[in-house]
Amino acid sequence: MQLNINGETFEVDDGDGLRPLLWVLRDELGLTGTKYGCGAGICGSCTVHLDGVAARSCQTPLAQAAQAAIRTIEGLAQVQPDGSVRLHAVQQAFIEEQVPQCSWCMSGQMMTCAAFLEQNPAASEAQVLDAMQNNYCRCGCYARIRKGVLRAAQLAVQPAGTA
Amino acid sequence: MSATSPRKWKFSRRKLLIGLGVTGGALAVGLPLSLPFARLKIAGMLDSGSAPAGTMPKDPFVWFEVTPQNRVRLYLPKAEMGQGVHTALAQIAAEELRPAWEQLEVLNASTERGFDMGTMLVAGSAVVSSLYNPLRAAGAALRLMLEEEGARQLGVAPAAVTAGGGVVAVAAEPSKLLTFGQIVGAKQGAWVASKLEPQLRQPAQFEFIGKPMPRVDFAAKITGAALYGFDMRLPNMAYGAVARAPRMGAKLLSAAPGTARSQPGVVAVVATTEFAGVAAETRAQAVAALDALQLQWSEGDVVEQAAMEAMVTVQPGAGTVLQSAGSVTAPLAAANTLRAEYRTPFAAHAHLEPQAALAHVLPDKVQVWCSTQSAGSLRADVAKAVGRKAAQVEVTAAYLGGSFGRKLNVDVALDAARLSAAALRPVHVSYTRAEEFQHGFFRPPTHHVLQGALDGAGRIVAMSHAQASGNVFPALVGQLLGADFGAYRGGLLRYNIPNRQVTSQPVTLPVPTGSWRGLGLLANVFAVESFMDELALAAGSDALEFRLQHLPEGELGERFKAVLLAAAELAGWGGALPAGRARGLACSMDAGTVVAQVAEVSVQGARVQVQRFTSAVDCGVLVNPNIAAAQTEGSIMMGISSTLLEEITFSGGQAQATNFDRYPLLRLADAPLVETVFLQGSDVPHGMGEPPLGPVAAAVANAVFALTGQRLRSLPLKLA
Repeated sequence: MQLNINGETFEVDDGDGLRPLLWVLRDELGLTGTKYGCGAGICGSCTVHLDGVAARSCQTPLAQAAQAAIRTIEGLAQVQPDGSVRLHAVQQAFIEEQVPQCSWCMSGQMMTCAAFLEQNPAASEAQVLDAMQNNYCRCGCYARIRKGVLRAAQLAVQPAGTA
Repeated sequence: MSATSPRKWKFSRRKLLIGLGVTGGALAVGLPLSLPFARLKIAGMLDSGSAPAGTMPKDPFVWFEVTPQNRVRLYLPKAEMGQGVHTALAQIAAEELRPAWEQLEVLNASTERGFDMGTMLVAGSAVVSSLYNPLRAAGAALRLMLEEEGARQLGVAPAAVTAGGGVVAVAAEPSKLLTFGQIVGAKQGAWVASKLEPQLRQPAQFEFIGKPMPRVDFAAKITGAALYGFDMRLPNMAYGAVARAPRMGAKLLSAAPGTARSQPGVVAVVATTEFAGVAAETRAQAVAALDALQLQWSEGDVVEQAAMEAMVTVQPGAGTVLQSAGSVTAPLAAANTLRAEYRTPFAAHAHLEPQAALAHVLPDKVQVWCSTQSAGSLRADVAKAVGRKAAQVEVTAAYLGGSFGRKLNVDVALDAARLSAAALRPVHVSYTRAEEFQHGFFRPPTHHVLQGALDGAGRIVAMSHAQASGNVFPALVGQLLGADFGAYRGGLLRYNIPNRQVTSQPVTLPVPTGSWRGLGLLANVFAVESFMDELALAAGSDALEFRLQHLPEGELGERFKAVLLAAAELAGWGGALPAGRARGLACSMDAGTVVAQVAEVSVQGARVQVQRFTSAVDCGVLVNPNIAAAQTEGSIMMGISSTLLEEITFSGGQAQATNFDRYPLLRLADAPLVETVFLQGSDVPHGMGEPPLGPVAAAVANAVFALTGQRLRSLPLKLA
């Protein structure tokens, strides 16, 4: 089975098509930036994009993911023609606001925010914050997540699918 | 080089039976002191944060590596679990070594780097305060060596050069310079420590300390490249799964491999009455093969909630006296006294990265990578688990995806080592979320009886705090000293009250209990500071005025006064509020840091919403204001989550939660606006990882009372 991840093609074992995308990414492909937190779709740590839409990879069967363009945290920044890396607006904002602490949840936070902003570039502040409702942060970075996502909304956001 | 803590440590360290501080998990036992006196001293030590540091390696090359490519690597014995210690320690080290910030790389030291067990422990909010002077001294020692060698290479006298920005330059002719890398690259022969005593910079000269330097770990974390224990991989690695007891306290009566060895992908099976587990090619195969083991478990404990609450109940006269001034007996027997009981529940750590470890057991060596707060003690535990000498085991801490005390004891590393020894391959073991909820340990429940007596002028003449708590430290510690110093952390009465008594009663429960951020801090301050408001009400005083009237004498009183007034001013204490809002105040001292906080709450139906949360924090020298603010914000959010939502209950011998559906955490929408101001009432740095958690629950409960008239004395707060 072939997967399209961050614009590259990966070959994975056909095997069980119901196995969660999360473990295929982490254990089979070594893309460990996508994190496991609850395995039940509650905490949001495993959030990736499927065709530009935020999805919980712990709840996404492999066979379903194979139908979509998958984007993970490793593909959020863009590698420029000269080899330099250009951070996504969300990553830039999260560094500027010094948002994370342990950062285990932050891949999911940033992927959730990036998908929403790419689809809703004119969203209001309330809408942006509402999009972040279902991502847990146990370190309690919420005050800075608020600042980070609002800052990200201000920064120029690339249209979806240009990674 | 100084190898001692910057803080005052009154016991002679040579006379200690067991070294290292109480907050570090081990116990300092003052042999020459009588036991009751030692108890009081150690109790005070925890609050003031004056635990002794571990012993420090004197060699600056244990800490630093300067490469000919002009990189400066800093090897730290303290794990980064989100609290920002790698950045704060890098600032402290850089202050005296004087590199360019950009050339600094921060790495975790493995256990082979030469640090002792205590130094490799992250606990008690003591990382920055315990390493503040040793690390500066190490940096200064290396800078002197670079200056002396640089001067030699430049052909001038050592006194003619000065280091800064990663170069050694001739002071009178700054264009004559060598980078640190050039000096190291051109060095012939062995390095020799300078004979000069390094001069440390004065605060007015600080270049890095006190500045909001950006976090050194964010470049890797923001791109998903940072490696946590759960992310560790080696070629040919197998995945492990471990059979877990069906009930608390159940033990394996018999264990046999059954058909596990012939299950798909299985590479090793261990089936003993000590441990039963499987290693397989994939995670799913390992979990599936567990069912094929033949295991017989003992009944275990049918742990029931009500029975445990009954166990954790203050028994009159049963506790150990931890604080005593005057006599409370007569005044508390008189009229005009107040008595109230408080309770806090079991709680889970709920760190989002479940515990995880990779172990590779080789014939002559064992390597472990793990999300751990205590690489040093883990080394000995792994050695024991696989029958090796500790010297053969190397443990490297990975980034921790949260911990909050849970990853002080990472059994998962022992699981991985046992399975790797059987599989003859590297094995990775990680907990599922259900394993975290069902097979970890918990913050112990507590019960508090507060009593107070007022005089005719509304001053407190006597106050007592009797508390019972499940164990935080192992039961042995409690037996040794008659009290569990983790359990009553934050429970001493700091106010200037002529007659005071604090007693503590450790309780060993049938459920494993242990360290949770701040240990007993949140629970004890919840009880004491809620009761202060009850007394203020009885005295007819404003909560702020009442506290100001009872400040401790001396410097501590001044520090409390300053944070109380600052928090009150920032929060607009006493000022008008929108309808449906009220404020509550609380303060505490922990790990040398004094904190006052004001919560502003509203209520919708039975739901409490914290709208705004204001803190004034005096942690002495502020190493990084941005990180200190982040620790304050995080403590507030975790504290509010614990105050309003979190509770573990047991039924039929198991925790009832298996995932976040039964143990919800605070969400973004419920997070208050936060404002923090820092004061400096001390010339050394104090703890920041836990102290701001102290007053949170009390501040919220006091605000809820002000708004609703309901005095809620149990966590989580539930409105009638």
